[in-house]
Amino acid sequence: MVTRFWAETAIALFTLAYGLIIVRGATEFGIGWDTSGPQPGAFPFYAGLLVALASLGTLVVTWSKRITGRDTLSAVILDRDGLGRVIGFFLPILGFVLLCATLGMYVATILYLLFAMRVQGGFGWLASLATAFGSAVAFYVLLERIFLIQLMKGPLEAFLGF
Amino acid sequence: MAMFRTAALAAAIAIVPGAAALAWQPTKPIEFVVTSGPGGGTDNFARIVQSIIQKNKLVDQPIVVVNKGGGSGAEGYVHGKAGKGDPHKVIFGTNNAYLLPYVAKLAFKPADFTPVASMALDEFLIWVNGEAPYADAKAYIEAAKAKPGTLKMGGSQSKDTDQTLTAMIQEATGAKWIYVPFQGGGMAATQLAGAHIDSNTNNPNENVGQWKAGQVKPLCVFSPTRLAKSEPVHGGKGWGDIPTCKEAGLPLEAFQMPRTVWLPADVPADAVKFYEDVLEKVSQSDEWKEFIARTAQTGRFMKGKEFAEFVARDDAANRKVFEAEGWVVK
Amino acid sequence: MDNFASLMHGFSVALTFHHVALMMGGVLLGILVGVLPGLGAPNGVSLLLPLTFSMDPVSAIILLTSLYWGALFGGSTTSILFNIPGEPSSVATTFDGHPMAKQGRATEALSFAFLSAGIGALAGVLLITALSGWVAKFALRFSSPEFFAVYFITFASFIGLGGSSAFKSIVAMGVGFTLASIGMDTVSGNIRLTYDFDVLLGGVSFLIAVIGLFGIGELLLTMEDGLKFNGIAAKVRVSDVLRTAAKLPRYWLALLRSSIIGIWMGITPGGPTAASFMSYAMAKRSSRNPAKFGKGEPEGVIAPETADHAAGSAAMLPMLALGIPGSATAAVMMGGLMIWGLNPGPMLFTERPDFVWGLIASMYLGNVVAVVVVLATVPLFASILRIPFSIIGPLIVVICFIGAFTVAGKPFDIWLALAFGIVGYGFKKLDYPIAPMILAMVIGDKAEDAFRQSMIFSQGSLSIFWSNPLVTSLMAIGLALLLLHPLQLLWRNARRLTAARAARG
Repeated sequence: MVTRFWAETAIALFTLAYGLIIVRGATEFGIGWDTSGPQPGAFPFYAGLLVALASLGTLVVTWSKRITGRDTLSAVILDRDGLGRVIGFFLPILGFVLLCATLGMYVATILYLLFAMRVQGGFGWLASLATAFGSAVAFYVLLERIFLIQLMKGPLEAFLGF
Repeated sequence: MAMFRTAALAAAIAIVPGAAALAWQPTKPIEFVVTSGPGGGTDNFARIVQSIIQKNKLVDQPIVVVNKGGGSGAEGYVHGKAGKGDPHKVIFGTNNAYLLPYVAKLAFKPADFTPVASMALDEFLIWVNGEAPYADAKAYIEAAKAKPGTLKMGGSQSKDTDQTLTAMIQEATGAKWIYVPFQGGGMAATQLAGAHIDSNTNNPNENVGQWKAGQVKPLCVFSPTRLAKSEPVHGGKGWGDIPTCKEAGLPLEAFQMPRTVWLPADVPADAVKFYEDVLEKVSQSDEWKEFIARTAQTGRFMKGKEFAEFVARDDAANRKVFEAEGWVVK
Repeated sequence: MDNFASLMHGFSVALTFHHVALMMGGVLLGILVGVLPGLGAPNGVSLLLPLTFSMDPVSAIILLTSLYWGALFGGSTTSILFNIPGEPSSVATTFDGHPMAKQGRATEALSFAFLSAGIGALAGVLLITALSGWVAKFALRFSSPEFFAVYFITFASFIGLGGSSAFKSIVAMGVGFTLASIGMDTVSGNIRLTYDFDVLLGGVSFLIAVIGLFGIGELLLTMEDGLKFNGIAAKVRVSDVLRTAAKLPRYWLALLRSSIIGIWMGITPGGPTAASFMSYAMAKRSSRNPAKFGKGEPEGVIAPETADHAAGSAAMLPMLALGIPGSATAAVMMGGLMIWGLNPGPMLFTERPDFVWGLIASMYLGNVVAVVVVLATVPLFASILRIPFSIIGPLIVVICFIGAFTVAGKPFDIWLALAFGIVGYGFKKLDYPIAPMILAMVIGDKAEDAFRQSMIFSQGSLSIFWSNPLVTSLMAIGLALLLLHPLQLLWRNARRLTAARAARG
């Protein structure tokens, strides 16, 4: 269960950190104004600074509402069921990306679609297998054959000699 | 099919190891790593080579061109470096292969690549607006000297070839320009045609469209000899009629940009030989000669020692400018 | 009517069986490319380029431009159906197109999008036909200050549009700006903000951001609601396409305004993406009920689509006549021109009339062919929504990540897309506006470059932004747009006050 208050705080802290990282990175290149206009770091510096300040602004607004009791922002914006569904959808995606990086995109596509359809979607084996392999083949034909784009490959493709 | 061929080839190599007749051959698709974005000069170079190889069937394996133009080519070199020992990655670039690491903090150095060949030299000229009163290079330089730091020289991004050349001209003549860096030579060409800048140092190919229309005119070329004769481009003048800058009285010998080809480090010598041969054949093809003539580059194929010496000279000359201008990163 | 005669000659070149077949093929391939997020028109065109080496230039450019039209159409399709812009320029189409699809009006949204896109494209080509010479001269007057002013107008039209908190808008825009500045800085020749990570050398592609923020982010939201697309029950009838076409004339004002914005941005060169954003913003601003925008207002589909295609076709003119590519795709095509032995520039029109006018004629024909082809696919695409979400959801995930990889062939990009997905989900939950962020990513670095080039021109003096009538009027338009919104608010408040007072008195 996530309340609006904590969600706002978390995102604002995240963008605050992002802004500060940019500010730090930008100072390397000079942030002043010389004879030929702003130095290379100036634009990123001020943009990053704005991000950081505006994030602080959101934090102040959020916390002052809570402290003054005007609005405790304790409305639940993500309930237990919703959270469960999001995680149930997100974890396989994470797994898919991990598989892409290790086993290559074709194997990852097949495994992920099989899992999502057979286990999560409750489809039959035939439909799941057909969709999974059909998609992989479609990608192969379209990208590698027609457009000559090599997708990420893994040990299986290496073994098969692709 | 490809799989069978690969397997058969692998088997053949395994059966007759070290057979003299079986020099290195590619065993899988070759990747041409282009160190510029689509449409850039290096991109055209690589794609022309690709098209000639495919048309004349000089290589059995398919060729895939990938653009890695980020960081003005650094991305492509870093990608190439990661292919250490893989002779199926061929990197196409310019002199940025050995010059970029001077001016930017990058995770690659020239030693990460095996030189293969340089296929052409792209030329640089001084161009002024078509309406400008300067009859020759000397007059323009004098005008620039008369008003130091007011005339504008346009070119591609900072600390790259155009600005290096501008710095060399300044050093040699004592004139001083405001250098305006644009996104590329095409932009520098139209900015000159619109008279927003006073001159640029574009390659022939980047300005020829505007020259044809008389919107810009060339003053001199930074080449040891005049460019090859050509059809007249504008007002009865062709490429061969442009004086060299030395003739025009500028104390600057030459400034040319090689179109280079590299392999990653640690590849078999056989593989380097293989690509040298293929590229040499490409450089002798009619299509290549036509491309060179059309873009008014100088077709000069260099490999091995000749290429290495060229690189050493070019490296030293550029480095001197970088140091004088304070561009070298620690 | 010299141009008209040339055009007729062009039609005689373009209107052969071979060329029309190439158009159909190009459009179909383009739709495929456009439907895949990440694999955009620039990639598609550069990938087909080797195929064209052995063709004659007219056939080659017809194939490539048709692919471009197809990709633009395909990009809108996924924007509307799944909230995933297949092309950068169809980001703005998601704002109202996807809500329409969710309400079961997918057919209507798609038909509106395709028809208005076709009209926009034709408007762009008409301009090229009629005014090519004049436009080419006009465009030469543009230098860095004018470019900056054009970007400024685009930003100004967009500011104050969303109803989000000011802090959040600033964060979103700032994040977009800073992401755009990662990588090589043309003006200084420095590589900025990579923090020594090689994967950042090429910068953060905004296509990756779009895939994550829109594609993955939207999927997470959909999952959370446990909702299926509401469109499932909606029947798809061919007659719906015709009924929508009959409604189109009602939006003549939007079509006209959007065409003008698109043509303007195609020439100047703000590009199709900026054009579609600006057109959307202007449509919302001038609408009588702006509150409807973002909730499935047809004008919110028509405006960006018209401008997008008008800009896409108008951008061909600076490419041919000046050698300045008005869009990323045009840049690739220019590379092609050089390989085919053509030098873009003012003389191309007189030197190679066959090529130029054949191309222009093919732009008319190609767009008509494209509209017919895509309209025929509407029922097919709309019925995709009937597929259960438990199949289509994971498939979209796969397409998104493979698409992300194809943008630059970098494995790092799929992680980046995942990260953007999480950020997008969080931002959407908390009403951070994503559109300004995308806009800042698209034109932020260009605006910065133009500004700093201007400062080099003027040696640090801001007066360059009102140094000639052209740039002065552009800046004035930008400032007016920027101040218009707060002034409107003030005026409305003042009126309400006086009205209240009058009522009391």
